[in-house]
Amino acid sequence: MANDLFIVIVGCGRLGSHLANQLSRAGHSVVVVDTDERAFGNLSPEYSGFRMEGDATEIAVLKQAKVGKADLLIATTRDDNVNLMVAQVAKTEFGIQRVLARVFEPQREAVYQRLGVETVCPTAVAAELFLKSIAKEGPA
Amino acid sequence: MEASLGKKPVLIVDDEKNIRLTLSQALETLQLEIDTAVNGEEALAKLEAKRFGLILLDLKMPGMDGMEVLRRVRETRPDIKVIIITAHGTIDSAVEAMKLGAVDFIQKPFAPKEIRELATKVLDRDNISAEKAKGYAEHIELAKKCIGDREFDSAAEHVRQAIAADPTKAEGLNLLGALQELGGNRLEALKNYRAAIALDPTYMPATENLNRAANWSPKGDITLDEPKATDDQEEGKKA
Amino acid sequence: MRVLIVGGGRPVYFLCRTFLAKGHQVTLINRNQDECVQMARRLKATVVCGDGSDPAILEDAGAHGADAVLAFTPNDQDNLAVCQLATLQYAVPRTVALVNDPDNEAVFQKLGVTAFSTTRTIASMVEQRTALDEITNLIPVGEGKVNITEVKLQDASPVVGKTLRELSLPADSLIAVVLRNGEPIVPRGDTRLESGDHVVLITLPANHGPVLRAVTGETD
Repeated sequence: MANDLFIVIVGCGRLGSHLANQLSRAGHSVVVVDTDERAFGNLSPEYSGFRMEGDATEIAVLKQAKVGKADLLIATTRDDNVNLMVAQVAKTEFGIQRVLARVFEPQREAVYQRLGVETVCPTAVAAELFLKSIAKEGPA
Repeated sequence: MEASLGKKPVLIVDDEKNIRLTLSQALETLQLEIDTAVNGEEALAKLEAKRFGLILLDLKMPGMDGMEVLRRVRETRPDIKVIIITAHGTIDSAVEAMKLGAVDFIQKPFAPKEIRELATKVLDRDNISAEKAKGYAEHIELAKKCIGDREFDSAAEHVRQAIAADPTKAEGLNLLGALQELGGNRLEALKNYRAAIALDPTYMPATENLNRAANWSPKGDITLDEPKATDDQEEGKKA
Repeated sequence: MRVLIVGGGRPVYFLCRTFLAKGHQVTLINRNQDECVQMARRLKATVVCGDGSDPAILEDAGAHGADAVLAFTPNDQDNLAVCQLATLQYAVPRTVALVNDPDNEAVFQKLGVTAFSTTRTIASMVEQRTALDEITNLIPVGEGKVNITEVKLQDASPVVGKTLRELSLPADSLIAVVLRNGEPIVPRGDTRLESGDHVVLITLPANHGPVLRAVTGETD
């Protein structure tokens, strides 16, 4: 991964802020968008990117965040539908190559993968890790 | 790209550490020498010591603000180009700064590529002085940028200046009409579309706008440009 | 027809009632338990309480085999999700999403979801009514690529007294029907237009303006 990408992160909760901190530290230019200004308190003092208050389901807000220039967008809000809508809009309306969305509901994941949105489902990921660990160690 | 920039150092003036960092990192890959200042006073001191080619300047800083720094730079070192850093929604002051002689502005947040492109563009404009650069084409370009950002008041200001710089161009009047229509002033808009057509009957965007505006077709988009020729056209005007 | 409606509030209540009155089978999905109880009492519809963008709820509500799904929540992202799930997961032939932010109308269409914005519809209705009293924009067809417009001919219209053959309307336009004293006439080349006729025009956005000017004689 080149080390000066322009990355837009939607949602500044635990996952969003963690990603923002890490990616910013790695030298990328990061913009975090959240509807609640208080969420930016989750960012570390070393975070050197931008903060933007706004609702990312509004095209106008995405424009203001310069999503059109982004190399990557990650949608991490706690609302699956927001993440999936933002991801699709980023892809089709702004033509962003790489878009990732967090999806909690595993049943939705399948449908959205068919729509070309790269999704990460925490439940599925955790389950897989647990299963792997069990397979390796065997039951106690 | 790198060769065309020359080797004059760049000064970044911003009180926010993350902006200084983002800008430095973005410009480092252009092999430019970069220096930073955290406020206006430090900036002026550094300008005494070194011959900079370009300043990236934040307007809002504690102590001496960017506008004052810009004023002084224009008086003492008019050869140095200044790009204004602005927050979204504060474009008016950026326009004010352009009037004072800044060559361009960039709105936060910015992508590294965007910064490099702007710096390259500005440094490449070497042969044109900052004053002359603000002719018709620049104002049109700025106006479109403002429209893209929904800053319609500033856009109208640029359009007016563009028309003042060259009153024979249909594009300026068409843009003015489009802005008036967006602002709800349909009659004035129609007048300007017609004036644009009168200047250049072959200028299709104005004809399309007039037809649409005169008939209240709500589906049609307001036309700002000719379909594809824009880029070449603007290049031509700049040259 | 089996219609699945997701949403709440008075507009959705009346929408359900309209569909029921026309003899359709309606299932309503609403997140709010109290509202569900209310709706179930007042409507002869099946009411399912839950998140309409949750595949399990959609399935419960009988998305399999539904003829249409209408998403009318106040959240654009939820309406998009409902429609996409209905189309992709349950092969529902017809879905419609309400968009609250008018900017999203075009975006949703691009994403393959039929969407409409009440804001935009109302605004354009008001505009068209105030523009010219004798012109009624009936319907844009094919995503606005074709317009059907009804125009009442005034005495001053340059086309009054002429046959269709004598008219020189711009290319790719058509007078489809003439309504005279409420009676439809499918016009031929020798049909002569009279003052008071309502003519129904088929135009393209490119020639819409010129055609209207040719028919009304107005220059503005």
